[in-house]
Amino acid sequence: MAEAPGSPGGSGGDGSPKSGVREQDRYLPIANISRIMKKALPANGKIAKDAKETVQECVSEFISFITSEASDKCQKEKRKTINGDDLLWAMATLGFEDYIEPLKLYLQKYREMEGDSKATAKGSDGSVRKEAGLLHGGTQPGSSSQGMAQHVSFTQGMNYMHPQFHNGDLSG
Amino acid sequence: MRQAGIYSGILSGGISGRTGPHSLPLARIKKIMKRSGEDVKMISGEAPIVFSKACELFIEELTVRAWMVTLQGKRRTLHKEDVMAAVSATDLFDFLVDLVSVSNGNGHANVVANSHDMVFER
Repeated sequence: MAEAPGSPGGSGGDGSPKSGVREQDRYLPIANISRIMKKALPANGKIAKDAKETVQECVSEFISFITSEASDKCQKEKRKTINGDDLLWAMATLGFEDYIEPLKLYLQKYREMEGDSKATAKGSDGSVRKEAGLLHGGTQPGSSSQGMAQHVSFTQGMNYMHPQFHNGDLSG
Repeated sequence: MRQAGIYSGILSGGISGRTGPHSLPLARIKKIMKRSGEDVKMISGEAPIVFSKACELFIEELTVRAWMVTLQGKRRTLHKEDVMAAVSATDLFDFLVDLVSVSNGNGHANVVANSHDMVFER
């Protein structure tokens, strides 16, 4: 077999011609990115493939940009683990302060669900419930009961296939 | 068995069931984080979760700004040049300028230059 001159040595056949790194290590899946992009456009808007690929590159750059800043902070403070708050701080520092509030809400919701599921798993263990309650610190009243309602609706059927109906009509 | 309960909650804010509760795969996010520097070794469990939402917000913002460029060109299909124009017109996206111009190389320089006198509002 003839060897192509100047071909990179030891290419693994992953379809990554330029760098030795596999594409799936460098970028988020284009299908997910495409879905999020479509959601941001009106129904009649179309997206060219090259636009999706460009956004895909930009997102990886965004992650690296924020992570580097957070990592620097951790080093200065002699901590080894980058946590969620470091990332929030880095985003605020680098001009993405608009993201902070939605991210906090998202995290809170996540912790809430984690707490709920742990509490449920442990049965009616009071101490665990208390702990979960602490995590919910600044939650608005009613949101935890909403969480419970979602829990109930999940066990009733495969509602998770239709997330858009999830928060709405519970009577149906 | 109860594990699925975790998913049911965040899904209302997520996109589809395919990646679990989050709209982007956490393992992949973690890999990209680790590639950002030698010093990035330990990452808390919450960090990729923060990013899964942050990237969603970032993609939305970039897309909306690019779409405005598309509309100004009286088109209905968002192209790479629109994304590039949005990047160079937005201070927040300065960190992407190199990436976009490097991957660009030739041909689209005029599009990028024109975008400077556009005003974006949100």
